[in-house]
Amino acid sequence: MSANRWLTTGNYFTSYQDEQRIFSTRLDKLIFIGFIVCLFAWPLLIKLSNRNMLVLDTILIAIVAVLGLNLLTGFAGLISIGHAAFVGVGAYTVASIIRLIGDDHVLVTHAWPLVIIVAGLVGAVVGAFVGLPALRLRHLYLLMATLSFQIIFQWIINFSTFFNQGQTISVGRVFWFTGKIVRKQHYVFWYYVILVAIVLLGLGVRNLLRTRYGRSLVAVRDNDRAADAMGMHPGLTKVYAFGLAGFLAGIAGALHAYLYRGVGFESFTLHHSIVYLAMAIVGGMGTLSGSFWGPAAIQFLELRVEDLAEKAGHYFPSNMNLSTALRPLTFGLVIVLFLMFEPRGIANWWRIVRSYVKLWPFRY
Amino acid sequence: MPLLTVSNVTLSFGGLNALSGVNMNINPGLITSVIGPNGAGKTSILNCISGFYHPTSGDIQFGEHKLSISSFSPHQVSNLGIARAFQNLELFSGLSVLDNLLLARHQNLNYNFLQAVFYFGKASRVEAENRAYVEEVIDFMELEPFRHQIVGNLAYGIQKRVEVARALTLAPQLLLLDEPMAGMNIEEKEDMVRFIVDIRQDRDVTVVLIEHDLGVVMDISDHIYVLDFGELIGAGTPDEVSQNPKVIEAYIGEE
Ligand SMILES: Nc1ncnc2c1ncn2[C@@H]1O[C@H](COP(=O)(O)OP(=O)(O)OP(=O)(O)O)[C@@H](O)[C@H]1O
Ligand SMILES: [Mg+2]
Repeated sequence: MSANRWLTTGNYFTSYQDEQRIFSTRLDKLIFIGFIVCLFAWPLLIKLSNRNMLVLDTILIAIVAVLGLNLLTGFAGLISIGHAAFVGVGAYTVASIIRLIGDDHVLVTHAWPLVIIVAGLVGAVVGAFVGLPALRLRHLYLLMATLSFQIIFQWIINFSTFFNQGQTISVGRVFWFTGKIVRKQHYVFWYYVILVAIVLLGLGVRNLLRTRYGRSLVAVRDNDRAADAMGMHPGLTKVYAFGLAGFLAGIAGALHAYLYRGVGFESFTLHHSIVYLAMAIVGGMGTLSGSFWGPAAIQFLELRVEDLAEKAGHYFPSNMNLSTALRPLTFGLVIVLFLMFEPRGIANWWRIVRSYVKLWPFRY
Repeated sequence: MPLLTVSNVTLSFGGLNALSGVNMNINPGLITSVIGPNGAGKTSILNCISGFYHPTSGDIQFGEHKLSISSFSPHQVSNLGIARAFQNLELFSGLSVLDNLLLARHQNLNYNFLQAVFYFGKASRVEAENRAYVEEVIDFMELEPFRHQIVGNLAYGIQKRVEVARALTLAPQLLLLDEPMAGMNIEEKEDMVRFIVDIRQDRDVTVVLIEHDLGVVMDISDHIYVLDFGELIGAGTPDEVSQNPKVIEAYIGEE
């Protein structure tokens, strides 16, 4: 077990359990642990402004959401254009709890990890429910089901007084063992919470993917007749995929609610659903690492577009809102370009870099 | 007592009868072949048995208890111990040979969702046990060199073999093979014949074989059914069938 995957000699396993491991060598595991430690340690040394910290936190939340979308669309092959609504379900679960018991109830301020998990579970149930048409429908029809859900979701939020008609429902500050999390600590605190969530969820998903619960997703994507012949219920497997996506989206939504200290409908629109899809495509459908690259790349792009719009704004009449026009344009363009030239997403560049390192100094 | 009984099965698509009143008995431990010209209804009868089609009328019964399976879904049939290899490849083409075969162990991977998420002892152990089973089938079907290759990239003959291997990995009592040698060269065909004979002998699996190559069929079958235009025109041992005037007519009439 001294060989490693960065070298061309390859690995030799002595048991099937060895081969199952996520990290095939000790070096891989060390690199991974070192990386995680760095992620936890750097905020102690470097202080980012609240604004930059917020951007970072937003990316991390998007990673959680895209992890779910990637399982659904990349692995199980079921396209969803209602993912933001699933995220919204998580956020509005938090909001509902607050509407019912108030935002200073200990459940919300102290037992917030529980609230987040509950939001995930509600997301899973709603996800599975929306996925029920998968028992009967396929492809485009199923996509329409997710679109309808997006629209119904927005409609319900906007018209019900319980949800404040889409206006912000505020979320109180939470407590940690050290006391109340004040404004100064807020963004760093949630950075840690989201990071822990990502590590746990990421490992959980990675585990799932090497078991029947992950393989069955890919099976219904590749060939659902064959999946049926192998003893899987293709319809139920798809419903399960929706539930899984709903769970991760729900968690992301709850984190979003706590991070922004409020829930309003404008964060969960069709536009956001399309952005999630863009993240999944750009990152790399059907690869775990794609769920990490995608949100980072798209968020970066979004910031650049805003800068550009601001600069260009000086040369155009002020009644033209450039950034609203530029955004859908850039996203559309990026999705199309990736689908045309790199359908395997950024994750594929990562793969290429790795295989290059592995063969170095030989060309091939 | 037959392992599988097909009684009076009729299957119609609109006005066309793909099968009309077909009766078959599949006896345990034997190789039973189904032959007939193109469009005779061979794949249709397999589809009825494996749950992809439901007979318009008639019944199909399986096992000691004569369980009626004619309204079952494919996954229910599969879980009873009836496996099938498709005529047109229906593999998980984006996955490796290993993953294709592991998918056939789906029902035997009896850990629950939480154990899978945490990859607890049981999940890991059961995965390893089933991996061992898959490896045994890989050995048996001589697929060792292709274990980690993506199925979609393999040569056609090898994909056909993976198709049979995957059905075998389900550990079935009854194996339905739909033209497993179609499009193969002589050498590959000989290998496949050897595999089929071994499957019956060493693994104690009952085989139903659809095949156009009459030489092969006469060689390895214990019993033969002959279909033409959805009707059974002959049945019996290879000798009986080859002397049946109706069968001779159907085959010569075809040429
Ligand atoms: N889904 C379907 N819809 C309509 N007709 C069908 C369908 N499936 C099969 N048929 C018809 O049923 C008849 C029997 O087809 P089947 O596929 O069973 O033939 P086969 O004996 O397997 O032929 P081959 O040797 O070419 O594989 C054909 O006339 C075919 O057109
Ligand atoms: Mg056929």
